[in-house]
Amino acid sequence: MIDFFNYLINGFLQGQIYALLALGFMVIYRASKVFNFAQGELMMLGAYAVWTLTIGADLSPWLAIPLAFVCAIVYGWLIERLFFERLVGESVFSMVMVTIGLVILIRGIVLVVWGPADRSFPVLLPPAPLIVGDMIFPSNLVIGALLTLVVTLGMSWFFNRTRAGLTLTAVAEEPTIAISLGISVKRAVTLAWMMGSVIAIAGAIVLLTGRSITVQTADVALAALPVALLAGLESIGGLILAGAIVGIVQALVAAYIDPAIGGSASSIVPFVFMLLILLVRPTGLFGWRHVERV
Amino acid sequence: MDPSGVFFTNYAGDRSLIRTRAQWASLVFLILALATAPWWASERWVSIGYTTFITAVAVMGLQICTGYAGQINLGQSAFMGVGAYGAAVAMGAGWDAAAALVIGGAGAALFGVMFGLTAARIKGFYLALTTIAAQALFHFLVLNLPQSWLGGAGGLHVESISVFGLSLENDRAIYWFSFAVLLIMTAGAFGIVRSRHGRSFEAVRDDDVAAGMMGIPVAATKARAFLVSAFFAGVAGGLWVVALRHVSIEQFTLFNAIWMIAMMIVGGLGSIVGALIGTAMIQLAREGVTSLGPSFIQWVPALGQDFVFAAMNVLLGAVIILFLLFEPKGVMHRIQITKKAYRLWPFSY
Repeated sequence: MIDFFNYLINGFLQGQIYALLALGFMVIYRASKVFNFAQGELMMLGAYAVWTLTIGADLSPWLAIPLAFVCAIVYGWLIERLFFERLVGESVFSMVMVTIGLVILIRGIVLVVWGPADRSFPVLLPPAPLIVGDMIFPSNLVIGALLTLVVTLGMSWFFNRTRAGLTLTAVAEEPTIAISLGISVKRAVTLAWMMGSVIAIAGAIVLLTGRSITVQTADVALAALPVALLAGLESIGGLILAGAIVGIVQALVAAYIDPAIGGSASSIVPFVFMLLILLVRPTGLFGWRHVERV
Repeated sequence: MDPSGVFFTNYAGDRSLIRTRAQWASLVFLILALATAPWWASERWVSIGYTTFITAVAVMGLQICTGYAGQINLGQSAFMGVGAYGAAVAMGAGWDAAAALVIGGAGAALFGVMFGLTAARIKGFYLALTTIAAQALFHFLVLNLPQSWLGGAGGLHVESISVFGLSLENDRAIYWFSFAVLLIMTAGAFGIVRSRHGRSFEAVRDDDVAAGMMGIPVAATKARAFLVSAFFAGVAGGLWVVALRHVSIEQFTLFNAIWMIAMMIVGGLGSIVGALIGTAMIQLAREGVTSLGPSFIQWVPALGQDFVFAAMNVLLGAVIILFLLFEPKGVMHRIQITKKAYRLWPFSY
């Protein structure tokens, strides 16, 4: 029984890390209607920035991490300035295609600057596991989950309660009307990409601490996709629940079904689960339902 | 638009795809030039040729799904993988390569239509993103089905391949076989997009609510688009087995699917010829990178080999984004404009 609770809670914590990665997708989607396929690449770029600042430049983590966030803001701004500024008013389809181009571009840039070799990511979070009674929790997961809760609730509050956040929500809902109300879509999109990049770095720090990073690290973000779709692409608060569901289901499958079939069913369970939920509720658990007009 | 002075006195002429003698002549010339290539081109060009033909088949399928039906499809690489495994199993059992291609295509179509069927409920981005699940599912199935079926992580090896009694041993034979398949599939693609189904694809792309009101079954049309797209990918996967005689999962990654989307964008969305041109351009550019890279390093030895290859990738990524920003309709659109200007010359309209 204690094992079961252990799996349950660890699954929940892992799910919250996925939710943090998914939040990156969602923040950009909420403010610009663009699904960013390059979110994993942003995370990888952030991870390399952290690596350069902590190991390359040998700065203390207390200085390096804020600096990495500044870097994220800069390249988030740069991406908007170079590419998306020109696409305001264009179809969402072409903006999404640009993010697919970004996947190739950012991977190339990382290969140019850092090369294909493995780098070991610094240990930024305390490595000792947390032991409560008979249960053991990896402390990076605990810190990550707490961070996710704080950031997700903060973002949810920002988008639904503050003036700045509500303008972003207006842009997401109907960009043309937002423009005619005097909201700057350009500024909204810039803010979205900055926030997306910063959240990607936060995700990288939590997820990759003490591991090695390569260009393939970017694929990890795909694991967060089921969480984002399950919550519904617009619902930031829903991420906490969706992350918990996906994490717990995955952990239980890994614990009880994987040994029985001798395979890694846990790797696809989130996707299958997501498909089933979407068939019942096509906009995820809490996504907005749009009334379509011709 | 037809050139001045071209008009038809019968309906068959008006319906024809190739409308003037000059078009016939250039088409025949192109086909002859490509068909005779193994005799006059070097071996390296022959292998570049057939990899381009194979990719072109998959990109044409993607063009029908994304360019015509407007459904973003990130599973094309996984569909190609399913086709490759299907064809490899069939060829391993001693089937003829032509039959194996059909089996591979049908297998992939079956796998693809599963994702298309979800279109009955799921729409927009949600649908595009569920196609990523195809990639995860494909990896899982190959790695977890019994080793004796699909070879697991090691992949499958095919000993000898023959088509209609002719053995596909050397590069030339592979070249001609894939060229023939490309021609058949291109003719098929033109047929599909001109048919009733192609028209309903375009209607669904432009506005699916309006299309539904016109009496087009929207969900079935989307499912059909995925079916066709996956069939093309499966045939391409089968050709891939013919060319390499080996399949393994790392040949079919999500990154490959992204490259196929890039080829389609460069060529131009919503044009079959665009898919062919885009594939040829990107494949040649990538080949250029691999062959020019070493000589570039000799020229500037200070830059390492890794650097040059990676820098070329940056260049290709930037080219794709620049296309989206400045020529979102692709090369094909530019060609059409040039052709029109040439036909109207010396007048401007």
